Amino acid sequence: MRIEIFGRLTILLGLMLAACGCSTLGVKPWQREILARPAMALNAEPIDAAIDDHIYFSKEAASGGRSFGGGGCGCN
Amino acid sequence: MSLVCAAAGGALPPPHAPEFEVLPREGGIVAVCFVAMASPCELLLETADAHTARDVGRIAAQEAWRIEAKFSRYRPESIVSVINRSRGHAVVVDSETAALLDYAAQCHEFSQGLFDITSGVLRRCWTFDGSDRLPEAAAVAALLPLIGFEKVRWQTPRITLPAGMEIDFGGIGKEYAVDRVLGLVAARFAGAALVNFGGDLAANRSPGAAPWQVGVKRPDTEREARLLLELSRGGLATSGDTYRFLVREGVRYGHILDPRSGWPVRDTPRSVTVAAASCVEAGMLATFAMLQGSRAESFLEEQGVRYWCLR
Amino acid sequence: MQLKRPPSPLHLGLMAASCALLSGTARAQAADDAEQPLQIDTDVLYYKENAGRVQTIEPVVNLKKDFGDQRLLDGTLTLDTLSGATPNGAIPARTPQTFASPSSTTLTPKPGHKTTLYTIAPGDLPQDPHFKEQRVAGDLDWSQPIGLDNTLSYGGHASTEHDFESVGAHAGLSHDFNEKNTTLSAGINEEYDRIHGHGGNPVPGSDYALYEKESSQTKTVTGGLVGVTQVMRRNWLMELNYAYDHSQAYLTDPYRIISVVDATGAVTGYRYESRPDNRTRQSLYWVNKVALGPTTLDLSYRRGKDSWSIGSDSVDAKLRIDLGSGMYVEPHARWYHQSAADFYNLYLTGPSPAPNVMSADPRLAAFAATTFGIKFGVTTGRNSEVSLRLEQYEQMPSDQSSALAELQGLNLNPNLKATIVQLSWHTEY
Repeated sequence: MRIEIFGRLTILLGLMLAACGCSTLGVKPWQREILARPAMALNAEPIDAAIDDHIYFSKEAASGGRSFGGGGCGCN
Repeated sequence: MSLVCAAAGGALPPPHAPEFEVLPREGGIVAVCFVAMASPCELLLETADAHTARDVGRIAAQEAWRIEAKFSRYRPESIVSVINRSRGHAVVVDSETAALLDYAAQCHEFSQGLFDITSGVLRRCWTFDGSDRLPEAAAVAALLPLIGFEKVRWQTPRITLPAGMEIDFGGIGKEYAVDRVLGLVAARFAGAALVNFGGDLAANRSPGAAPWQVGVKRPDTEREARLLLELSRGGLATSGDTYRFLVREGVRYGHILDPRSGWPVRDTPRSVTVAAASCVEAGMLATFAMLQGSRAESFLEEQGVRYWCLR
Repeated sequence: MQLKRPPSPLHLGLMAASCALLSGTARAQAADDAEQPLQIDTDVLYYKENAGRVQTIEPVVNLKKDFGDQRLLDGTLTLDTLSGATPNGAIPARTPQTFASPSSTTLTPKPGHKTTLYTIAPGDLPQDPHFKEQRVAGDLDWSQPIGLDNTLSYGGHASTEHDFESVGAHAGLSHDFNEKNTTLSAGINEEYDRIHGHGGNPVPGSDYALYEKESSQTKTVTGGLVGVTQVMRRNWLMELNYAYDHSQAYLTDPYRIISVVDATGAVTGYRYESRPDNRTRQSLYWVNKVALGPTTLDLSYRRGKDSWSIGSDSVDAKLRIDLGSGMYVEPHARWYHQSAADFYNLYLTGPSPAPNVMSADPRLAAFAATTFGIKFGVTTGRNSEVSLRLEQYEQMPSDQSSALAELQGLNLNPNLKATIVQLSWHTEY
């Protein structure tokens, strides 16, 4: 069942990539005022995210996925 | 105190040498005068110090000349000329040109195709010299396939014009320069300032208690109409066709052309003056109003702007 | 003069367009390509678990500098001071249990040897109260544009503590297209670690009573990531990442043991844990940023699975509510669930031969975990901000008891609760 869910999510990824190929999704350059807000950046609070990732990395078995870079602690 | 602005659509001054003059005016105002974009330009500053006026004025004049050199279709090294010579190849533009192209694209959408920076090719068959020589319908029709911003491929930062098409920023450039210059002046000069490029103006605030008094002079064959407006801050722009027109069999053909048909818009007002937050905005509203022809006044009413319309 | 009406939709559109043109070009000419001031972030984290367990104080300093034209240097320095008791993997028993702290050189007192023992009362969870650790970690990253549509990034990290050292490097490339509405990214990373537990690494799976130690061990991690970021609407941005990594060599925890019990549940001894010498992990991470008026929603889902049969799901939501006057409040909730590693057991039942791989590390058990938190932030100057974050974390294992007679009524893997307090200060120079 786990593999099934994984397979489905991979198909979702593929569909997303295909959808991005049709340029119907998206906004014009002059419509980016909301996206330009600092709070709308995907890495808006990088230190909070790094601290959380470190806590969960040392207390749980799964980790990462957001991006990589910086790991390295003897806690897992 | 009132100042006299250059008439909208006046005669072309002689080609300039890059120089400017500093002239004191009454009421604690100093004027810096120069020529740019084929218009008499002045920068009015609330100061008693000619030195400050000269320094600030130099920045203003240099910015106006920079924009002219970069965007004038008459200069072979301008980005507009490069694009117009590209013969169907993609041209990579910088962020300032990209912003102007985005603006032109938006205005094309907002006006449902009436505002179109590719419509300049029509000057090949239209010459508005007051005579009665209208072009052949076939000549105009032949140019229509070369007009239409929707035919331009524009995706930041690359623009691809189909071969034979041209763009020009004549409908945006001067107003853009006015707002840019005011921005640069306001960053360096603490007092009130007004920028006036041949009738397109912007001010950052009132000099002293009273607003700027703007006189828009339009010598008309019938009457000396001089509109006196008050401007404390924001932009003011005028669109008019007093001087450039054709008359045939009693019908007046103004020089504002409809890019969809290639023929002049009918029943345009003699002049439209609009006040808005910036000169760019005021100028585009005035242009849109002229393009509405007989509906210019009701269009401006609907927009909820301050305007003055003369027929 | 005419009476003024409210602006029409066309006029509003034109106002916005004109504003965008003027502010955009002013920024483009002046600031966008120019050097930016140095961004400084200082944070202090206070983390405390319940029942006398681990607590840590962690100051973090981060510096970011844009040298103009989007060339960015990002550096972080982290100091970590941990203390408190940490569970050693053994289960509670009906009789007192005595263990040696890892820095001990023998299990029973002997002259000429350093012996640090601790005794656990009946019914209590065995945890080593002598745990103390200090860690220093540094991170440096660089990113720059390549051409008009691509970004290259690379960087490295290093950390050191008494029993562990790590170095790593990563590199990535991303490509924008579709008027920068779509971005494809890919990256690789490599890490090399050295593990030398206090008092030496135990021989994995060996009898605790023998107290056999061996020299330091190493482990390597190699990974890759691909992702796509897509602007969905004016107020909605989405990212989907797939990550894969493979760890090799010494993956065992040098301090964990597992209790060996007889048929009634009485403790007969302990073994050091032993984990497989490789592990492959995959994860799919999906994050959304949605603006709802002045409020911003951050919603993400992560699905993970690995070759140790651990499957995980994680849902995280944050809502940043702008209160005006430069203040904001941000409630946060996270739900996490993982299944147990296939070699995880609460305890071993002797006397059958010990399996090759076994672990009682609670971090490999099946559990659900929740986090609830709130963050308050206030702008204190032109470009500076102070914020306070409070969070409560709870881990609820699904396997906490046994049917064996001696273990009836004992909680063999109690819930973990932790409080997190973080104070942050952001400024520019």
